[in-house]
Amino acid sequence: MGEGFTPRIVGFLCNWCSYAGADLAGAAKLEIPASLSVIRVMCSGRVDPVLVATALLQGADGVLIAGCHPGDCHYREGNYYARRRFALLKKTLETLGLDTERLMLAWVSASEGQRFGEVANQFAGQIMELGPNPMKTKISL
Amino acid sequence: MAPDDKGALFPAEGGVRERVIAFLQKAISQGCFDAVLMPAKAPGTDSFAYSLIGDGQLLKNAYPLPPVMSVQGAKAISSLTRSGKGKKKIAALIRPCELRATVELFKLGQVDLENIWLISIDCPGALPLAEWAKDPKKAEDAFAEILKGGPSESIRPICQICDKFSTTGAEDLHIGVPGKEASGILLIPNSPKGEAILDCLGIAAGEDISGWKDQVDKLTGARVEKKRQAQKELEAKSKGLDKLLDTFSKCINCHNCMRVCPICYCRQCFFESDNMQFSFEDYLKRAEAAGGLRLPPDTLLFHIGRMLHMSLSCVSCGACEDACPTAIPVAQVFSLVGNRNQEAFDYIPGRSRDEPPPLRVYQEEEFEEVEQSHAAVPAKQEARDG
Ligand code: SF4
Ligand code: SF4
Ligand code: SF4
Ligand code: FES
Repeated sequence: MGEGFTPRIVGFLCNWCSYAGADLAGAAKLEIPASLSVIRVMCSGRVDPVLVATALLQGADGVLIAGCHPGDCHYREGNYYARRRFALLKKTLETLGLDTERLMLAWVSASEGQRFGEVANQFAGQIMELGPNPMKTKISL
Repeated sequence: MAPDDKGALFPAEGGVRERVIAFLQKAISQGCFDAVLMPAKAPGTDSFAYSLIGDGQLLKNAYPLPPVMSVQGAKAISSLTRSGKGKKKIAALIRPCELRATVELFKLGQVDLENIWLISIDCPGALPLAEWAKDPKKAEDAFAEILKGGPSESIRPICQICDKFSTTGAEDLHIGVPGKEASGILLIPNSPKGEAILDCLGIAAGEDISGWKDQVDKLTGARVEKKRQAQKELEAKSKGLDKLLDTFSKCINCHNCMRVCPICYCRQCFFESDNMQFSFEDYLKRAEAAGGLRLPPDTLLFHIGRMLHMSLSCVSCGACEDACPTAIPVAQVFSLVGNRNQEAFDYIPGRSRDEPPPLRVYQEEEFEEVEQSHAAVPAKQEARDG
């Protein structure tokens, strides 16, 4: 499984921390998955689960949401709401029998370039194991 | 689930309908409220619609429990009060699922309940709208038998597994329908507003209602079990990508299910907005990857997206399923997903007016199992390095 397969991962990254963390990882020339498409959001709390579902149903192999650590959100509580919305998303997909392993929610601060690289690589590895998103091949989606 | 086991017996004769109308007539004539919002038959037709009735005499066209749910009652109430409350006191007599949807809309700021008295009634279910439309007279006769306690296999699938058909605790007054031998209906107040109605009628809530309550509890238990079984069967039929696509393959994208849903109150649905329009190239790319693309696209996304937006408030009322022209079990699927999500957040939509909707609140320590733990990554990394 996974031969010649480059997972397409969409990353919703919070501007104030994880995006900066990703930037730092880049600047430090840490290895991060090449196929990560980054969407910068002002806060992880901004990520409507519908956006994540859209990415998944339209063929992304994985979706990563990353925000500030609990307690550190720039808007104080956005990431707590993000976690509730993420729990709702996971539960919904689980009930419908769809893959929840293609989703990840992680907290990465602006100074954690190293951690960002680790999170992104671990997620990419997880998606490699899962293989391509089967939704990509469905005509009737 | 009535907070206290007390109620008042309103003495009246006849079938459920006659008894309830007698109560409403008396309440209007005593000035307990100025008008009633409830289903009524349009004169000279077989159709039922929510009507605002201010005249006790006109109540003879009223049907507290019509054979079908033509419009979800919460929608009727929100259309009345969306731009604020009126000066008149209105009693809205609706089914329990309609009441729960109204309470959800109240919490979402879509109805003004200050001058509305919410009254619910023990609900025997409703017939599928499509069945009724084929032959309204026949359906009405069949439903009359159900009201008298006859067999109820013909009610909608979602009603057959409804375990919240009686008092929810969030109404001002609940009307309990006791067994045939009783000499009236039970009026069970659940708020100061409900108690005020009893005061106005000059009757006290001194009646022992345990007999009625036992009856409700027994049926609730049976329904819970039936629902568990039905949801298991539904999961076997529709769980997983292929089965899910199969379930919704008959969908013609009419979006009726969204339009009739009481919880979907948005004036512009996200899924009908420009946000869901993608470029030609984008569609072409997807078509190339899959070998084809169904158009209009994103049918399943509409349904999953709608679940993500509103399932925590889904009251399993069945309006969506009634409105589906291709007989997709929309309400059964939404109710299943809704129930699971609601369990995860320990939330029952419409149970209480004070309980905040789950996505409006949070706790600092919760749902940690869904996040990538801080320790997990480096630990794995070390394991790999070492
Ligand atoms: S999704 Fe269907 S069952 Fe649920 S509240 Fe809306 S109309 Fe009722
Ligand atoms: S699906 Fe979402 S956007 Fe559309 S009407 Fe329902 S709640 Fe509103
Ligand atoms: S009402 Fe039925 S056909 Fe119309 S959009 Fe909903 S599921 Fe599809
Ligand atoms: S600002 Fe980063 S999660 Fe809210």
